[in-house]
Amino acid sequence: MTNQTNSTSSQMTPPLYPAKTKAQVTLIFFIVIGFYLFSMIWTQRQMVGGFADALGNMGVVINKFFPPNLSVIPAVWDPMAQTIQMAIIATTVAAILTVPLALLSAQNIATFKPIYIMTRTFLNILRTIPDLVLAVVFVGLFGIGLFPGIIALIIFSLGILAKLISETIESVDMNPLEAMRASGGNVFQVIYYGLVPQVLPQFASFVLYVFEINIRASVVLGLVGAGGIGLVLDQQLGFYNYPNVMAIIILIFIVVLIIEYISNKLREALI
Amino acid sequence: MATYSLPPKPKRSLFKKTKRIMIFLAIVAVYVWTFLGIDVDWARAAERAVNNFHRVIPKLFHPDWEATGEVAGKMFETITIAFAGSFMAAILAIPLGFLAAQNMSRSRLLTASGKWILSAIRAFPDIILAILFVVAVGPNAFAGVLAIAIGSTGMLGKLYSEVVESIDMRVVEAMEANGANKVQMLFYGVMPQIIPEFLSYAIYRFEIDIRASSILGIVGAGGIGTMIIFAANNRNWNEMGLILLAIIIVVTVIDSISARIRRKIV
Amino acid sequence: MIEFKDVSLVYPNGTEGLKNINVTINDGEFVVIVGLSGAGKSTFIRSVNRLVTPTSGFLLIDDEDILKYRGSDLRKLRTKIGMIFQSYNLVNRSNVLKNVIAGRLGHTGTLRSILNLYKKEDIGLAYESLQRVNIDDKIHSRADELSGGQQQRVSIARVLTQKPNYILADEPVASLDPPTSHQVMTYLKKINKEDNITTIVNLHFIDMAMEYADRIIGMRAGEVVFDGPVSEVSEKTFEEIYGRTIREDDLRGGAQES
Repeated sequence: MTNQTNSTSSQMTPPLYPAKTKAQVTLIFFIVIGFYLFSMIWTQRQMVGGFADALGNMGVVINKFFPPNLSVIPAVWDPMAQTIQMAIIATTVAAILTVPLALLSAQNIATFKPIYIMTRTFLNILRTIPDLVLAVVFVGLFGIGLFPGIIALIIFSLGILAKLISETIESVDMNPLEAMRASGGNVFQVIYYGLVPQVLPQFASFVLYVFEINIRASVVLGLVGAGGIGLVLDQQLGFYNYPNVMAIIILIFIVVLIIEYISNKLREALI
Repeated sequence: MATYSLPPKPKRSLFKKTKRIMIFLAIVAVYVWTFLGIDVDWARAAERAVNNFHRVIPKLFHPDWEATGEVAGKMFETITIAFAGSFMAAILAIPLGFLAAQNMSRSRLLTASGKWILSAIRAFPDIILAILFVVAVGPNAFAGVLAIAIGSTGMLGKLYSEVVESIDMRVVEAMEANGANKVQMLFYGVMPQIIPEFLSYAIYRFEIDIRASSILGIVGAGGIGTMIIFAANNRNWNEMGLILLAIIIVVTVIDSISARIRRKIV
Repeated sequence: MIEFKDVSLVYPNGTEGLKNINVTINDGEFVVIVGLSGAGKSTFIRSVNRLVTPTSGFLLIDDEDILKYRGSDLRKLRTKIGMIFQSYNLVNRSNVLKNVIAGRLGHTGTLRSILNLYKKEDIGLAYESLQRVNIDDKIHSRADELSGGQQQRVSIARVLTQKPNYILADEPVASLDPPTSHQVMTYLKKINKEDNITTIVNLHFIDMAMEYADRIIGMRAGEVVFDGPVSEVSEKTFEEIYGRTIREDDLRGGAQES
């Protein structure tokens, strides 16, 4: 009997997807496309010659950058080294400051709820502010130089690192911690003996990951006066010296690739 | 109580010992290089901080509400830059993602070249791309769109290729056995498996792009960044306060909406 | 001596873990608590070292009411009571010696323990404890390289290093196979007899309870429904405790193999 009803309904060739889903998906699709087209028009409204003109222009412009003037590289070696040093210092300080913040924002360790909520909210707000914006503010506060750049990197990476590590802490096996508590250990001993060995490899790996982020961020901090190679880049841009700009960009590109490669290998070895 | 026997010392091979020492020395060397090389004028920075503190920090917490209209307009432009850029990247990354996925082609050369292109793009910070595009198409928001589009393609392409590599190839095999051709296999076997993840990653990248596009104006590529650099040059910290507030609100709202959508999709 | 006087425990969600428990456990006894899962065995045992806190009544250990303890009093109490867990609760990534020395945490200052500056006696004690459970050859292995039975022996060594007056064992053999289960129980029994340490073990295997216990306490739905020496226990007693007939999976078997 059921067979019969089935065969009659299949003669009506039911749609592959229910009509409601289909309508919803179509609507969302058109909204997304519509907003995309609007965004394209909106962002091009100040362009003099329009999109087609710009594309034609691009060929001419690319010629301006080539050939890159590689002979400037020895001269920018020092600021490049300073950029890397900024990232190293900032990552180290952030890694130290992260420890208390990550513990306080891990739900299984910070059992006192108001503290947990406060640190979480603080870190969430911290993470919304882009690195360069922080650098702008700190340059205003400390003046032009490496120092505001380092502070900006510390604050910026603290937000990311503390979140990653508190999530790792939340996923640890709590059983050994219970055993330590049962044998009379105090809070510090329980954390040091039960928790630290479990999160240490991930901690090291995340610190390296944040170091990679900091390297990328530190090369551009100079654009707003916060020291390093970006400062030289900004100067050369100001002089419209495009071959020099291209040489610096190529140097940045290579340094970032090398450091990322090393850091990746180290991280693979850790986990 | 005096009688106790101590456990034997752990036996470590010479190789392990030297490896430990080498790693330790390498770390020490990096830090020595860093602290000897870095040239920070601590005294001057501290002096400046003391002098400037009351001129900067309190003002940040008293936003200049009169600039609300302008800030809202530029913030909207930032959103359109991020949206157009991530949309373009979401499309551009599809062929690159397939190219870099190991299970989609038998040629190792093709896969390797795909992976190389993607990691090369990722090595460029967004703002460097913006510098290039500002020179190419002029100082306007569209340069920002292009910078975001290219910059996001690197990361999305990599994430896409990982999704493609993780699909269940048995489904595709079954279709091949049914006599389906390559295009049919792609649309009926591969696509249904990857679309939710692709969408979810694209939306996630939009979150990142909102942050990224808010600073592009610093090099002239449109959006709220334009106002940031003006406010900093004019030491208009009240306006900076409002800009910061706008960024925090917009980023938070978009993050939470996008997180909700992503949870629904996957 | 451990005395439960009208002890009850209600969890925040309203579940009654313990209902008016009145039990006295004398020094040197080997007590096995039996009951189905959810009967309150675990809550009973965890009340003794205050991993859970009863909501009413008095719980006296060596004539002091431990329910009032807080902070350092509580930690001092816990150093006297060793605990063994079903899932061993070792730190997987640390080596055996480090896991065992953790038993001395309560006796060691915070700074000393964080800098790994243990007294020679403590390290000697840890080694000796490992020898007593015959696992001293694994001293530098990582805990997750060991089998379940070996891990449980390490956790016994950790408890021994604590030099406790009481040992609590919460389902110590539930994750082990029959021969290793008997091995672990034999060690617990040996330590109980040699060091005269009062031992309370949760088990749900009837045959093991009969083989190792001096005294059996039966629990059902948070209440003590039987309390007496092993000689008074029969299959009928277990049927009363469990509220049903005895089944195959209530027995561990394999007794002759050890």
